[in-house]
Amino acid sequence: MKFIQPLTLIITALFLLITPYPVSAGSYGLSLNPPLLKVNIRPGKSITQVFTITNLSSDDKFLVARVIPFSETDSRGNPEIDLKKTAPWLSYFSLANSNINLGSPFSIKANASEQLVMSINIPPTAILRDIYATLLVSTYSNLTGLNYQGSLVSATIGSNILITIHPELNPPTLLKINELTPVSGTFFKFGNYYFADSITPISFISSVENSGNFISETKGLFKITGKNDTPVYLEGILPVYVVSNTQRILMNTDGKNFSFNPNLAKLGFHKATIQIKTDNANAESSIDIFFFPFKMSLGLFLALGLLGLIIRLPKPKP
Amino acid sequence: MFGYSRSHQAQSLTVSLFERPSIQSISNHLSSNLNITNKLTQKTPYLYFFKHFRLILVILLFCLFTLSFHQPAYADTLVSPSFEIDMSTINITGGNKSSASYKLSDTVGQTIQGRFDSAGYIVKAGFQYIHSITPFTFTISNLDLNYGNLVPGTPSLLTNILTITTGSAFGYTVRAIEDHPLRLSNALTTIPDTSCDLASACTQTDATVWADNGRYGFGYNIQGSDVDVSDFVDNTYFRPFPIQDTDSPAVVMSKAGIATASAATVTYKVNVSGSQAAGVYQNNIQYIAIPSF
Repeated sequence: MKFIQPLTLIITALFLLITPYPVSAGSYGLSLNPPLLKVNIRPGKSITQVFTITNLSSDDKFLVARVIPFSETDSRGNPEIDLKKTAPWLSYFSLANSNINLGSPFSIKANASEQLVMSINIPPTAILRDIYATLLVSTYSNLTGLNYQGSLVSATIGSNILITIHPELNPPTLLKINELTPVSGTFFKFGNYYFADSITPISFISSVENSGNFISETKGLFKITGKNDTPVYLEGILPVYVVSNTQRILMNTDGKNFSFNPNLAKLGFHKATIQIKTDNANAESSIDIFFFPFKMSLGLFLALGLLGLIIRLPKPKP
Repeated sequence: MFGYSRSHQAQSLTVSLFERPSIQSISNHLSSNLNITNKLTQKTPYLYFFKHFRLILVILLFCLFTLSFHQPAYADTLVSPSFEIDMSTINITGGNKSSASYKLSDTVGQTIQGRFDSAGYIVKAGFQYIHSITPFTFTISNLDLNYGNLVPGTPSLLTNILTITTGSAFGYTVRAIEDHPLRLSNALTTIPDTSCDLASACTQTDATVWADNGRYGFGYNIQGSDVDVSDFVDNTYFRPFPIQDTDSPAVVMSKAGIATASAATVTYKVNVSGSQAAGVYQNNIQYIAIPSF
């Protein structure tokens, strides 16, 4: 009998430990694919594109899908999102799902996927232009049910939609390379010429402006040419989109600045050129660079000067 | 194939640059000069150096300028079966190509004119230059930030982690915005958004130090991958959240390139004064993750 009380306590403690009340902070995990939709479409035509959204969290979520227009981007291709912004052409977008509508919450089970079947219908009378939008899928949150002092975090994931409405496949636009400038390395500018050390790597920045009405791509080359325009170095440009009336920084295929490693054999006048050739626009810009072993020459002259100084010094008399 | 090996002796004889008579004559010439120089050296030692210094200088300059204006050696062949340089003519090929002098990446074109004419549309989904099937993914470790009972002058701190994988996108931004400052349900009393320490006020896009517990408000710090470390220098730097319908969302994470599980920790800080009205203060914070294009 004397063991009953401790035994009861132990069993109670064990049950409390074995079956604890699960307390876990809610988390969020969502993926959306594809991250980009680029469409060239004629007025009066329709297309359908499936966006797959996956709930990566371990609990069911209520989500809301909506389409937000944008017209501006930064120089890296990030749209300037204004959640209040609207446009008359948003009516071109709709979801073909039977149970999901734009702007209305829908549920998605834990670790499950849902397909958003987006239908884009361009009326025959649509203005020939580009329209840019972002499909946003947000967690549906409501402070009403919040029973603690704090912040309720909601999350939104997006996918960009770039549409060109035109009867031609590649309506012409106007691309202009705004700058092509060395940024790192050993160089100086004199007049219209750059003078660079021929044994120091040199990197360049460049940007392109689309002042036309239609989107364009940045397909092309960065090249260094020697005498007779003979290329001594070629590098591809990362093909990205430049929406109308925006600028973009041009990058190499690694997403970095263009770079060139000269050597002692690459001396004299060279030309650095950015060349864009796309289906609807071409652009080119170049700068003249004179490569010379300035550092090495300076070192030699300094060494010779020092040597001269040493020799000129009077010898100590014995 | 184009030659044959010779004995070492034969090779030496063949490639030797030495020509005895020339050397002899030069040596004689130098010898005669040497005698003069020796005489000069004995009288004025620095004149000897300057005479040779000029000679060395002339030789160096001659060598450098010869190198500068040399004829280019066309060692790098531009045209080869594995390179396609004129991008405008690439239609049914793609991928990365490289050599010591070349690094090109082209994309498979979808420019079939007939298809556009007949169907009336061309669709390109995803990024042609990234061959990845990983989707654009955004996770947040904790959606419920419970600050508990707030003690005046004692900041309450909470954290959560934002994680991004760009997948087939090349770059992204994560922006943040709040619906309103922390406020009571009557919508009248708020805990104002922080302006950080008095010495240097912070703004929605400019973080500064908030270490003074006598400064009250609500703000955030972020540390980790793809965070602007020139703004959020360390974990004492805070910003207030932009307010929905008034401000634009502020960028908290961004990258121009592929990100694989880039994670950053957001620290939320609330500090109230003794005169802050009692009650339950709440708000909603929204993070927006959008891929670049």
